Amino acid sequence: MRQFLSRSESRSGLSPSILAIPILLILILIPAAGGFASWENLSNLSSQIAALVIVSLGQMLVAVVGGLDLSVGSVISLVTCVLATEGWPLTLTLPLAFALGASVGLINGWGVAVMDINPIVMTLSSMTFVQGVTLVWRNVPGGHIPKQLPFAAVGQTLGIPHSLLWLVLCVLVLTVVLRHTRFGLRLFAVGGNSASARLNGIPVRRITISAYVVCSMIAVVAGVYMAARIGSGDPKIGASFGLDSVTAIAMGGTQFSGGIGGVASATIGALSLGLISNGMNLLGVSTFLQSAAKGVVLVIAVCAQRRKSVGV
Amino acid sequence: MNTTENTLKRLLSGAWNLSPAYFGTALLIAAALVFRPILLSGAFFGVILRQAAPLGMVVIGQSMAMRCRSIDLSIGGTVLAVTYIASSHYLSGWPGYMIVLACLCLGLAIGTINGVLITIFRGSAVIVTLGMTIIFIGIVIALARYTPPGEVPSLIRYFGSGRLGGIPIAPIIWIGLVIPIVLALRITVFGKYVDAIGSNPGAAAVSGIPYLRVIFLVHVFSGLAVAVGGLLLAGFVGTGFTEAVVGQDLVLNSLAAVILGGVTFGGGKGRIVGPVVGAFMLTFLFNFLTSFGFDESGKLMMQGGIIAVAALIDAAKRR
Repeated sequence: MRQFLSRSESRSGLSPSILAIPILLILILIPAAGGFASWENLSNLSSQIAALVIVSLGQMLVAVVGGLDLSVGSVISLVTCVLATEGWPLTLTLPLAFALGASVGLINGWGVAVMDINPIVMTLSSMTFVQGVTLVWRNVPGGHIPKQLPFAAVGQTLGIPHSLLWLVLCVLVLTVVLRHTRFGLRLFAVGGNSASARLNGIPVRRITISAYVVCSMIAVVAGVYMAARIGSGDPKIGASFGLDSVTAIAMGGTQFSGGIGGVASATIGALSLGLISNGMNLLGVSTFLQSAAKGVVLVIAVCAQRRKSVGV
Repeated sequence: MNTTENTLKRLLSGAWNLSPAYFGTALLIAAALVFRPILLSGAFFGVILRQAAPLGMVVIGQSMAMRCRSIDLSIGGTVLAVTYIASSHYLSGWPGYMIVLACLCLGLAIGTINGVLITIFRGSAVIVTLGMTIIFIGIVIALARYTPPGEVPSLIRYFGSGRLGGIPIAPIIWIGLVIPIVLALRITVFGKYVDAIGSNPGAAAVSGIPYLRVIFLVHVFSGLAVAVGGLLLAGFVGTGFTEAVVGQDLVLNSLAAVILGGVTFGGGKGRIVGPVVGAFMLTFLFNFLTSFGFDESGKLMMQGGIIAVAALIDAAKRR
């Protein structure tokens, strides 16, 4: 039992204390906040957290290879601005958005894997640079997203909010990638011990670069969702996503030292964060205090998972 | 092919050993001499130095934390909290020096909490210090409710924007603190420990260095340095502020300055002087770009590019 309660060595990062956070929150919120379990609030919750869950999935992939990607937020902002370019059809802007995302990921991956630059430093610089590019593209929020897209994000089919479909689709795809493909297995091998992965013939650099590229592409998907949700371009809309997604996966038990993480862990972390905001809104906690409470929960959640290493 | 490469390497090797901040500063000052000599005039230069002082203080702690393979992202929260209590009505009846002392104690307290969470609870430094920023930004916003707090006490304003015989006081305080810290880190065992832990934490632990205690002290010290930086910033601005973005800029710029200064996670050439020069370089650069009418987007792209170049130079050196 003691073994079970202490941080398990599981690859998924999940532990009883991690699972307890969302379950406790739900158990508290159902009786305490009237209307929490209502279909309306749940679909509201799903549209609130969909983008964060999606970005966190990408962030988790990078964390599994022992990295960190702070640039996802800037990529999201850039994507919304690209999609909102006046007079450009979706057939042009969507491929362009994915190409831009992939190149950001490629540069991040090259810097980290080939040049051996610390991931925080590398992605901090691309985050800043891409934010600058975004502001060149569109200085103030505005523009219009072609009509087809908003329906894809805010509509409903058979009463199921589309945001939930985006979320479930991304979770499913990433689950398959991580658990049933060679790429997924190699991610864990590289993150767990890159030296022995190399000795076992795994192309460590290529896998690391791929992780950053996929992470940026997932950020593009989140950006498309955000653009569809707000219906316009906003050069600052993604600013908080970089650190928020790091926060989310940390809450889910993914370790930044690499080799530990999973789709469930990233999803549960993002869900916990979403539940905290949603619950506090329902309970009428002043928005002023919500940030402080979120910080306290984060620090407690992270410190509850004792690690061996000290530092970053 | 190989010989040309070798000659090139030998030519550059002397310069290689300096951190990018020195080159950058030299390059910028040369460019300013040609294009914007007014930036180097006494009055302007004083203002730039004064602007650089808060960042210059903050990088001292950040540099030590990064040398120990840790990081301090709590700067944003600490700076906001310090400037808030310095200008809020809570302490307005207190004499100036008591308010300064209270701010320093707050920085010390935040640093201590960081240190405890990182070394005893073993939380990831990224997340723990980020969490502290989230908490303190939340608390300040909850207390202030977006209404700007009042004016900063005159003593702090004097520190931040006063002059002593024509020379701004903020850089005097800054340099006055940097010199003893640099000397102390060179001479004391503690300084050696910081170096040892950064270059190989495992070996440091095995050879009996109290590495948890050193990392703890580094974070406590960083909290204190950030509080001084926050006070200088509050004194420079003159009033308190509740915009979290001011502190966030300081965090990102401190990371940039440390990297420019040649310090990387766990090592590097520069200790304190490099990052301090990096802080000056960044501040000078922003002023230089502003004088050319660059807007936010241009500055951000430039900043991102410079961090990348500094990191690439460092990577090339390590090969």
